[in-house]
Amino acid sequence: MSESTATYGLVDVLAARGISRRSFLKFCGTLAVAAGLSSAAAPRVANALETELENAKGGLFPVLWIEGASCTGCTESFAQIETPDVGKVVLELIALNYSDVLCAGAGHSLERAKEETIQNGNYVVVYEGGITQGFGSNTLRVAMETGEEILVHAAENAAAVIALGSCAVNGGWMAAYPNPAEATGVSAILKKHGIATPVVNMPGCPANPEWLMSVLVQVLMLGGAGALVEGNIPAVVSTLGLNDEAKPQGIYGQTIHDNCERRPHFENGEFVYEFGSKEEELGYCLYPLGCKGPQTKANCGVTMWNNRRSWCIQAGSPCIGCCEANPNDPGDNWVEVNTPFYKRDRDLHIGSTFFRPTTVAAGLTGIVAAALIIHGFGMKKSGRMDGGADFEKVRAWDAKNPDKAIGQYEYSVMDGDPVKMKAAQEEIAKQYEVAEEASAEEEGR
Amino acid sequence: MAHLAHYKEAHPLPFVITHWVNLCAMICLIITGFLIHFPVPLTMGIARGIHIFCGIVIFINCIVRIILAFFVKSAPTGGTRKVVKDYKTWLPQKDNRHQGPQWVKYYLFMKKDHPLSAKLGVPQKLSYLLIPILIILMFITGLCLWTPTASSGFCQWCLGLVGGAMSMRVIHYFGMYVFIIFMFIHVYLANVEGTEPTKLMFFRKEHGGLVYDPDKHVIVGEDTLDGKE
Repeated sequence: MSESTATYGLVDVLAARGISRRSFLKFCGTLAVAAGLSSAAAPRVANALETELENAKGGLFPVLWIEGASCTGCTESFAQIETPDVGKVVLELIALNYSDVLCAGAGHSLERAKEETIQNGNYVVVYEGGITQGFGSNTLRVAMETGEEILVHAAENAAAVIALGSCAVNGGWMAAYPNPAEATGVSAILKKHGIATPVVNMPGCPANPEWLMSVLVQVLMLGGAGALVEGNIPAVVSTLGLNDEAKPQGIYGQTIHDNCERRPHFENGEFVYEFGSKEEELGYCLYPLGCKGPQTKANCGVTMWNNRRSWCIQAGSPCIGCCEANPNDPGDNWVEVNTPFYKRDRDLHIGSTFFRPTTVAAGLTGIVAAALIIHGFGMKKSGRMDGGADFEKVRAWDAKNPDKAIGQYEYSVMDGDPVKMKAAQEEIAKQYEVAEEASAEEEGR
Repeated sequence: MAHLAHYKEAHPLPFVITHWVNLCAMICLIITGFLIHFPVPLTMGIARGIHIFCGIVIFINCIVRIILAFFVKSAPTGGTRKVVKDYKTWLPQKDNRHQGPQWVKYYLFMKKDHPLSAKLGVPQKLSYLLIPILIILMFITGLCLWTPTASSGFCQWCLGLVGGAMSMRVIHYFGMYVFIIFMFIHVYLANVEGTEPTKLMFFRKEHGGLVYDPDKHVIVGEDTLDGKE
């Protein structure tokens, strides 16, 4: 944050930390790929970083990292970036002016730093965790402001808000049934308060630190988010490659399944049915163990975790679909729709009664089958199996309403005898009269 | 003998074919659907291939069947060789009027004699009209789950409507059970009073019985199929 950082070129800063230009470019290439660009864009990324950092107001691009209803897992994940690491260097070049968890300062001085950043404008807010609306949003009260007020205040003047982690996108864990705190995501709160600041949704539990890095770099590539401030939203959206849910398409455009290293085993029908089995040892597909990879959109299999060392599937765990989060639908919440994790489909519930979809569907089918068998015995007993019962002589309605009858029974040769036919018709009409009188009497009582 | 004569005119050849296609595709879809939901070793690739192929086939077949209903003629009732445009046999007919409750009563053993009816009784008409809607719904929910189509604007809209891919899967899965339940009832009712309707539907085998006049809406005689009516 010191001025000397800004006056030295980025190359000098990197060199001082023992990072060669070559490895810096390699890193830029990785970021470009994570951002959905070709690695040929590496020089562009490098250039954006260098120029932006050299021209940044006050030396560095200010970022406020605000905690909502979170487990700070996203911060933890972020903090696990190894040192010395190019990624860490780049992030140190971003002025993290406020972070509940990471900042050394505390109390009034930290709050003042935050307020100054907000007044100066042109900063990015990274919001981690859900926002609780219940209990007057007082569960997130800090420095005399409720959780909702903190977000709204910080977002109003920001160039963009990055909703980091599934909780920030649509409530995540915090909004899972029965959600007594009425937790929801950043987009929903900003919409509720009519704030038009663009939101970038980055679900994940936690979100991969490299995803955040790639988005921060992209914001820098846009020229200090200047385009965002100018209000050229469509241009920003196209540059960031956001989809309908405001998620970067390069990261959240394809499913885990699409880029899974175990995909060939899926196609071959080679599955793990039980943990600890021979199939598991062979590294077969985890689909029967409830892997949510086929419906979860994220590029985990490409970016991987812990500096591209491994990821859930490689470590032998089925995907639990932590990136499923629709900012427009709190019900499409990964905890809500993906539990139990080791089952192929979700639990359904009516009120507080939970049940399995297969139990209900198969149960209902069984009941219908049983009812048909019982009905079959009835059909047999009533002698209808052999061609059904004899046809009615006259439609019941026709017998009641002879003047409006549908069938022209005078032509009928039922039993080959029109006289018999007429007698039958009268007989049925009489039966109906008797029945009607009886029911009228019943009602009279 | 109580039933009406079974004539080929009730089920013209094009509809016999679409019925066969429906049957084969539906059975393949249900079997492969179970294999996809509860995978067994070595079958996933072929199960998915057949499932997607049959899904497209049953949808096209459904559309063809609907279009043909406006061009092909079929008998409006059993026991007659008279024909009308097929779609009319799916709409309320005079023969059906006021007969809905009678059918329910008959099946619940509250009515002893067989209700007079058109080719399709009221409950039959309602359930058969639901099937094309269900096929189309299943096709759409299927497309929303199939990677090559799931990211299209329309599928994304549908996914948003139901609350994501998991909900879509549960709906698609429940839809299959609706088909299974329909098939149980359909097969049961078609055969419980004798297998003649099935023989006619699948093999176009005619069978003698009572003759019905669709203009007078009454039974007018008997045909033993020996050449004289």
